[in-house]
Amino acid sequence: MTRPEDAQERARRAAEQKRAEGRYSETAGADALDATILGGRAPAELLSEWAVIEIEPDIVYSTRRGGAPLTALKRLMLRLMRQHLVELEARQTRFNLGLLASFQELERRVEALERGEQPRDGEE
Amino acid sequence: MTAVHQAVAGAGPYDAVSQQARAWRRLLTESGYAGADHAGQVDPGARDGFRPLEQLEPQAQDLIVIRYSAWSPGLGRLLERPQRKLLVYHNITPPGYLWNHSPGLAVQCAVGRMQLPAFARAARVTTADSEFNAGELRHAGADGVRVVPVLFDRDRLGPRGRGPVGDGPLVLVVGRLVPNKRHDRVFRAFAAYQRECAPDARLLCVGTALNPRYAALMQQLADASGAHHVQLAGGMAQDELNAAYDDADVLLTLSEHEGFCVPLLEAFHFGVPVVAAPAGAVPGVAGHAALYTDGDPAVTAELIDMAVRDSELREELARRGRERLGQFAYERTADSVREVVQEALA
Repeated sequence: MTRPEDAQERARRAAEQKRAEGRYSETAGADALDATILGGRAPAELLSEWAVIEIEPDIVYSTRRGGAPLTALKRLMLRLMRQHLVELEARQTRFNLGLLASFQELERRVEALERGEQPRDGEE
Repeated sequence: MTAVHQAVAGAGPYDAVSQQARAWRRLLTESGYAGADHAGQVDPGARDGFRPLEQLEPQAQDLIVIRYSAWSPGLGRLLERPQRKLLVYHNITPPGYLWNHSPGLAVQCAVGRMQLPAFARAARVTTADSEFNAGELRHAGADGVRVVPVLFDRDRLGPRGRGPVGDGPLVLVVGRLVPNKRHDRVFRAFAAYQRECAPDARLLCVGTALNPRYAALMQQLADASGAHHVQLAGGMAQDELNAAYDDADVLLTLSEHEGFCVPLLEAFHFGVPVVAAPAGAVPGVAGHAALYTDGDPAVTAELIDMAVRDSELREELARRGRERLGQFAYERTADSVREVVQEALA
């Protein structure tokens, strides 16, 4: 019998042996969700992506059992309110992008100061 | 009469925090305490047991049990109330898992983690349901954290079943479809197992999805893995879940962040061997009664194969599982619950 404590080592050896025979070839590489999970602060490119607000109809739904008619109703309301929502999205996006640009400028100036340089205004 | 009220950020029909609130309520009622359970957001499927948080009107002498697993504005307002408070920390998912999949929930988790020290300061007694969670609570500045495990009522599970019957080996995964549970790794490991060891194997994933979009993504990943006989079953009522455990050959959990992991105890109850990633609270709960993978899908596949085919290993794991259940016996935990409630009320 394999003791539970020894199982991982035995499994590792079996996997290695099978890999040497060309099996388990499809188990290499990153896992699908890895790229979507953030370990720390969101990178600037991702923040720029998030800054642009766009309400997608498929995130509007009912959580009730048999809630399909409610989901349809909610999505219809979303369509009817489109003019208003587009204006809201635009205003929120304008603010987000403005704030992001300010932060990026601030970051650039801090980095310049940390290097002992004099930051220049509006430098890209 | 002193009442003990419970407050949670969100209540649902199947999630572990709501289930624990229900289990505590039964115990509190048996122990002679009045009170009700409230939630910031109540899923339509949980309206029988939970009321909106705004309806919580405690008397001066009452105790409020705050079950903390995410922030909600209503929970934040409870801190201003003069009543005594008992904090039960269930862990908060690190928001990094959620920003890309559910921004609203990610915000709740990010703020929840930031606010944890304030909740710890406001509570007269702080508890966590695992040593792992207690560590996070201490890190947030809490002193004297008590570990009170999940109140695990085996009666609701019914008797142990006959064991696996029917077609190919059934690999069971129990837990919400959320990014930290890493179902992507499950699909990969299962596909490898099916390809190399058991072409007739089946995978059953039980648990509600984060949202319809994430459910669709998981279905896509399952399809792309090349595995077949994969079923994403959604949430299950207890009797259906019991039947799934009865039929299962292995419980697989490759979660990357776990505050407790109740399915481990359920698998032990049903004598189902466990193959797990040793993350978060999992090693603390399962101890030496599980087979641990190093994360390599091929190793996971080999471990599943061993757990399915090596009958002596299965028996040994079942024996150790029964031993672990002793650590989480209902009466033992019930005593701890009564103690912390009395301490908070003293």
